[in-house]
Amino acid sequence: MSGVADVSRPDPDELEALRAENARLRAAQAELVNATRMSSMGLLVAGIAHELNTPLGALRSNRDVLSRALARLQEILADEVVDASELADVRRIVAAVNGVVAVDEDALARITAIVASLGGYAEGGRSDVELLDVRAALDSALSLLEHERGPDVAITRDYGAVPLVECLGGQLHQVFLNLLRNAFQAVGQRGTITVRAHAPAEEVVVTVEDTGPGIPPQYLERIFQGGFTTKGARVGMGLGLLISSQIVERHRGRIGVRSEVGRGSAFLVHLPLGAVRPGHPGRPAQTETTPAPPASPSDTSAGGPR
Amino acid sequence: MRADNVHATVAVVDDEPMVTTALRAFLELELPYRVLCFESPRLALEALIRDPVQVVIADFMMPELDGIEFLRRVRECCPFTTRILLTGYADKANAIRAINEVGLYYFLEKPWSNEQLQLIVRNGVERSELFTQLDARVSALESANRDLAQLRRRLIEAFL
Repeated sequence: MSGVADVSRPDPDELEALRAENARLRAAQAELVNATRMSSMGLLVAGIAHELNTPLGALRSNRDVLSRALARLQEILADEVVDASELADVRRIVAAVNGVVAVDEDALARITAIVASLGGYAEGGRSDVELLDVRAALDSALSLLEHERGPDVAITRDYGAVPLVECLGGQLHQVFLNLLRNAFQAVGQRGTITVRAHAPAEEVVVTVEDTGPGIPPQYLERIFQGGFTTKGARVGMGLGLLISSQIVERHRGRIGVRSEVGRGSAFLVHLPLGAVRPGHPGRPAQTETTPAPPASPSDTSAGGPR
Repeated sequence: MRADNVHATVAVVDDEPMVTTALRAFLELELPYRVLCFESPRLALEALIRDPVQVVIADFMMPELDGIEFLRRVRECCPFTTRILLTGYADKANAIRAINEVGLYYFLEKPWSNEQLQLIVRNGVERSELFTQLDARVSALESANRDLAQLRRRLIEAFL
């Protein structure tokens, strides 16, 4: 971008160079967005692995206990006689097996629930338009992020009657996941995260509120731009909100934020009802959509009290 | 059948009853120790202060108190208890913190191997008992030493 200083009268060559540069930057941004999607997928996979390790650990141990118990019982029965001392052993073994069988059922139910909650994400790559209950999508995102919840972090749900939203379900899942993960990171060890879903008028409004440190006013305009993060190098690439706002714009909606330093932040996702025709995925947000800026620092249109 | 110390006790602390039940089933089947299970680290701590155990196995991710903090408090109240951390979230920073801050005996990852667990717990009980014995011997030696010193003083006084 060296020849940009003199733009009083751009000659055609320079204009062409700028266009090429612009296209190159757009391509680079798209690539970065894609990389972030992959890294957010990586985090998700790590989370799932962690969630599965508990029931898996129990099942693995229990399978071993069952085969040991069986071997023990066969050993006792080998001489076709069960004497008094052996009877006590048999009782002990049966008690152990009883406990194990009950736990196996719980562990399998847990694994089934984790896999079921993945439904929306597994379809993230597809572009099918579906009718989504945003409350169910929020619950599923919350359960997937459970391992990122600090020890003293409370979650409050405030759901109203919300109609189904016509959308690219997998993509909205990703928006909710991004906003909730940000909220978890904002509160850290202790705090409250409030998740709301309401349908005030001709739109569905999803709010994710946290009691974290808040965002200083001078940063509010920049948080939806790519590459901006105050979280430090290891946490993310600063593209989560850019991706989220692009997805929401593709659904002709918008994301707003309210934040107060020392009190916390609230992100509001407005999704219009009615003829929602999500733009084609992979293409940038349609320019003919409502010209609402992605970040509106003083959003007062909806949502509960702070 | 087994002549190990039947008086030893192992405490298992995990907010997931799934894990405590599985561990209890295995430990009771294979080892002659008493097994206590706690789903709350705070209640576990109260119980351990009243009645120390030989080995404690604690989960890392627990809602009211994380496993490292819990084991740090166990170390304060019961220095001879062998401390084992069981975790499904094995990041290096936590492992180092656990080893340095709580003098961890073993860092065990979920899903664990029962074979390995059996060995660790058995050695952990032995280690705890050796510490307890050592402490008793040292106290006995110190007391004998004090008696001798007193005797020596009296002897010197008697001859002077």
